Amino acid sequence: MKQMTYAEAIRDGMRVEMKRDPNVLLYGEDVGIFGGCFGVTAGLFEEFGPERVIDTPISETAIAGSAVGAAAAGLRPIAEIMFIDFMGVCMDEILNQAAKMRYMFGGKAKLPMVVRTPCGAGMSAAAQHSQSLEAWFTHIPGLKVVMPSTPADGKGLMAAAIRDDNPVIFIEHKQLLAVPGEVPEGEYVVPLGKADVKREGSDVTIIAWSWMVQKALAAAEALAAEGISAEILDPRTLVPLDKEAILKSVGKTNKLVIVHEAVKTGGFGAEIAALVCEEGFDLLDAPIKRVTAPDTPIPFAPVLEGAYLPNEEKIIKAVHDLF
Amino acid sequence: MSKVGIIANPASGKDIRRLVAYGTVFDNQEKVNIVRRVLLALAATGVEEVIYMPDYFGIVPRAADGIGSRHRLSMDIVSADIELTGTQEDSYRAALELNRYGVGCIITLGGDGTNRMVAKGCGEIPLLPISTGTNNVFPEMIEGTSAGLAAGVVARGLACKPPAIHPTKKLVIYKNGIPVDIALIDAVILKDTFVGSRAVWDAERIRQVVVTRGEAHNIGISSIAGVLEPVGVMEERGLVMEVDQGEANLLAPIAPGLVEPLRVKDYRRIELNEEIKVTDVPCLIALDGEREIEVREGDEVKIKLTFDGPRVIDMRTALREAALRGCFRGDAVAKHVRRLKEEV
Amino acid sequence: MKLTKEQLLGFYKTMTTIRAFEMKAAELFAAGQLPGFVHLYAGEEAVATGVCANLEQKDFITSTHRGHGHLIAKGGKIDLMMAELFGRSTGYCKGKGGSMHIADVDLGILGANGIVGAGQPIATGAALACKYKKNGAVVVCFFGDGASNRGTFHESLNMASIWRLPVVYVAENNMWGISNNQKNHMNVADIADRAGAYGIPGVAVDGNDVIAVYEAAAEAIKRARSGDGPSLIECKTWRHRGHFEGDPAIYKDPKEQEAWLKKDPIPRLAAKIIELKYASRAELDKIEADAEAEIEAAVKFAQASPIPSPEDVFTDVYAE
Repeated sequence: MKQMTYAEAIRDGMRVEMKRDPNVLLYGEDVGIFGGCFGVTAGLFEEFGPERVIDTPISETAIAGSAVGAAAAGLRPIAEIMFIDFMGVCMDEILNQAAKMRYMFGGKAKLPMVVRTPCGAGMSAAAQHSQSLEAWFTHIPGLKVVMPSTPADGKGLMAAAIRDDNPVIFIEHKQLLAVPGEVPEGEYVVPLGKADVKREGSDVTIIAWSWMVQKALAAAEALAAEGISAEILDPRTLVPLDKEAILKSVGKTNKLVIVHEAVKTGGFGAEIAALVCEEGFDLLDAPIKRVTAPDTPIPFAPVLEGAYLPNEEKIIKAVHDLF
Repeated sequence: MSKVGIIANPASGKDIRRLVAYGTVFDNQEKVNIVRRVLLALAATGVEEVIYMPDYFGIVPRAADGIGSRHRLSMDIVSADIELTGTQEDSYRAALELNRYGVGCIITLGGDGTNRMVAKGCGEIPLLPISTGTNNVFPEMIEGTSAGLAAGVVARGLACKPPAIHPTKKLVIYKNGIPVDIALIDAVILKDTFVGSRAVWDAERIRQVVVTRGEAHNIGISSIAGVLEPVGVMEERGLVMEVDQGEANLLAPIAPGLVEPLRVKDYRRIELNEEIKVTDVPCLIALDGEREIEVREGDEVKIKLTFDGPRVIDMRTALREAALRGCFRGDAVAKHVRRLKEEV
Repeated sequence: MKLTKEQLLGFYKTMTTIRAFEMKAAELFAAGQLPGFVHLYAGEEAVATGVCANLEQKDFITSTHRGHGHLIAKGGKIDLMMAELFGRSTGYCKGKGGSMHIADVDLGILGANGIVGAGQPIATGAALACKYKKNGAVVVCFFGDGASNRGTFHESLNMASIWRLPVVYVAENNMWGISNNQKNHMNVADIADRAGAYGIPGVAVDGNDVIAVYEAAAEAIKRARSGDGPSLIECKTWRHRGHFEGDPAIYKDPKEQEAWLKKDPIPRLAAKIIELKYASRAELDKIEADAEAEIEAAVKFAQASPIPSPEDVFTDVYAE
């Protein structure tokens, strides 16, 4: 084990896989000498050279679309889209090409590609640089959607995403980049589709992912002081979703709060709530609660952004409502 | 009434020599820009009507359309009445039509190939060729404004004698006794079968070259003559060269950027009205850089040099002559300014 | 340029096979035997044929919604294509793709595509893979005049140019983006002109002359294969039919249509072959008849093939 930040761990995941497989290459805007807009790819250009770590023009459509072509022609590209907010620029390439090629071709193609992109608010980057758009991608069969919350998960899920033969949207959270943690050294793979209990508890299940796992853990700590034992379940990958782990935890606590940073309407929390209602209605002792951002664009001023974001207090309040 | 014709070829400057050599992609917007300057200059000289070849892009109407309201043109701009084929045939038909209209001169935008087609139909009307093609010998790279001024003074009869306007040579190609085509600069006999993408660039395919002229600064097959024994525009002779595949004995710029080693086995001068027989059939004959004539087994082909090529305006001399006659001074200026004021 | 008798006859076979496939598809569609819709390549055969004759199996192509011709020219199997049009489980895509999504990755066919212009970045990426793997392969990207207005065109040609990728962009300019004439949808007459903006060669050729197409493609592909980067070839052509089967093409001027039908690439090639005495009219008729028989056999194969079972909906979403 080694202490690494979330950003370092994701980088290490890429580095180990690039060493392991010469067909892995990384490209995107400013991922080379600049090291990526958030520094996640720092040092990879120096280590692997300009053939494998490639700066692209500001051309999201061609970045995503060429990843599809490169994957179809035998590489395992990692394409970086600088902010998840820019995914709209290359949505056809994700929606109609990457996600559907295998199915449309009757299973006779595989597209091992990863699109890395940072999400999330908290730095006054306003409405076009702060969103959490994971639900978009979960609505497109053919894609896998990964959202790590810890350094170790960041590394292990990155390795799994690279090794996977399907297009994977790998969403990193900007607020987590500098968060440190223990990370296994060398090859380390966290399988896609396996949730992780980040804190065991017995009174209420709080499902959260990405940055919200930290908020939920803090809330759980405060709730414990009041005598409420909260279990924090991190699905880690939204597609594939570890339904079994969700139902198991709800079966234990009989209460469910879902926390996500994305806006409420059409958010992935609704999907989890629907799943529990359809397949685990009898497990519930209380209505399901969702703690999310409101249905507004993301504001700029710190006080407004603070009001917008889900936080520890809002989670605690939601839990209190169940008791 | 002074009239000037314009034939601007929208297809010139994009053949395969962009791939096999280093030719410029000459886009049509640039041709529009050149014609715009031509039109403004023509108007300044007092030309009253411009008749142009219509084309699939609309080079001349676009040029007129893009002129700012401050520079409104004091002349009529009308399309020649021809049916478009979208092929080089259009240039020929337009030339016939402009000849019929009785224009004072024709400005062409294109390469050697374009001017060859125009020459077939323009008769005695002098040409002012602006190069927008690839490896051009016949037209020159000249500024549109200067071309427009020179064409204007010629059309108005202010410069009409040699050397401002001079004759040129041409080659007439006879197939089985019938004249089938002409070349202004060169006829190249190739060991090819197909016209295909038209251009000539592969030195290995060349067997024989006949030129009306050739200088070492030319780009194209006629440059071979230029490095062997230069032949000037006005010299009453041509040159014929036999090319084979032995060890190279000269270097010539046969396409943009391609200065190629070649072996010329034999060459000699040819006199006016001399006929050269093409012996190596079947073959393909390229005229002014474009593969044109497929010669099959049994065809009898002859190439004859004459001085009956189109008359050509020397832009520099024409303008100098007009200037010396005071065309841009005194009364002419007062008239021009008055006309512009009346229009406003 | 050297072209042998065998090559010319090969072109003729490919072009007549494409034509026969398309005419049969039109007939079957009109008879209500094909689900969905089909976009036919009739009239444009010289482009796919002349270009793909320069390709090897390891090379890639990306195609379009009007893709049958590209697939046949790149070696796609007629019976599997026809079965796909019928939506049968023996089809190229097991009935999951249909006309607009036929692919054969083993033959380097990265798919027809239902999104106009989407093939351009895919081809660019495949070319990145070829360059990276140093496998000597090249990519040909087919698209139309309409797709030349997509942002994908700009981003792809720019990216391929800066990275010197082994890709040839082939603009099949049939002068129509559905019903919108080129005159109304772009302010250039020659798509080749746009190459200058990317610092790559741009060439316009007669797309109805298979020899001219072959020759230009040969040079562009040679250039790409030897590491000299991408190029753009514009092939001027004309679609004989409507945008899709069932489109009466009221927007076409009948005189213009008639003029273009006279420039049909297949009779043009036939005339050349006969003139050169490479084959007699009767021998060419035999090639055509063989092509039609092959298509008939493909139809029989398709009709005799099983339809997919409803459970097949759920497979092939993800690779395991």
